[in-house]
Amino acid sequence: MQMNDSSNISNKMIDLLVNDILRKNGVNLESAKGKLSEEQKQQIKELVGDLTKQVNQFLYPAKDNQNNKGK
Amino acid sequence: MASRRKSNNRFSRNLEETSCESPEQTYNDNNHDAEVPQDADQVDIMEQESDEMIIIKDSCNIEVQSTDTQAAVSLQIAIQLAIALVIRITIADSEDNNAVVQDLLQFFDSEQKNKQKILIENSKDVTITTTDTDISANIQVLLEVLLSLVAQLDIG
Repeated sequence: MQMNDSSNISNKMIDLLVNDILRKNGVNLESAKGKLSEEQKQQIKELVGDLTKQVNQFLYPAKDNQNNKGK
Repeated sequence: MASRRKSNNRFSRNLEETSCESPEQTYNDNNHDAEVPQDADQVDIMEQESDEMIIIKDSCNIEVQSTDTQAAVSLQIAIQLAIALVIRITIADSEDNNAVVQDLLQFFDSEQKNKQKILIENSKDVTITTTDTDISANIQVLLEVLLSLVAQLDIG
């Protein structure tokens, strides 16, 4: 429960940070949203999905992947 | 067994004592470039390029799990590029999008090096786990930034 709480807090902080940076630089979110075609959105979703999977594999590897055993 | 990689992990192990069950069994791995120095202990050194050295001597049944630093750096760069890419294609003005990317990534520019040396001697049934927590933290937060950006742009 505590891990989830701190994870939620850091996610909210990051949301605030990203939002603040975009606003500070005069980015209009609504017009930015309109700039992407459906195909681009799909490609970005796939890219983000792949990266998320790689990060999870890196942070929580299966025991077999990184074992070095003296035999 | 780890082959030659770009992280500086140095493992050395005594080839005379490689197995608890069968002490006469010799270590044999054809998948790595091992440099075998000419000394009586027959120490096998596998050289990689990160700042971690693990020496295993007169021991058996030792398990080593370590962070692949090079893979971590590549992953960090990939996420940074993804952030820059998303900004670039959603914000037309190149001056603005450079500034946004700079502001988002400024927190992840610092480089930290971890150097450590671990010696395991006269031991049995030991597990060594090393983690580069700095780069792990960077990767986690960068991914969160990317996910947040994508969510705010209604892409995810």
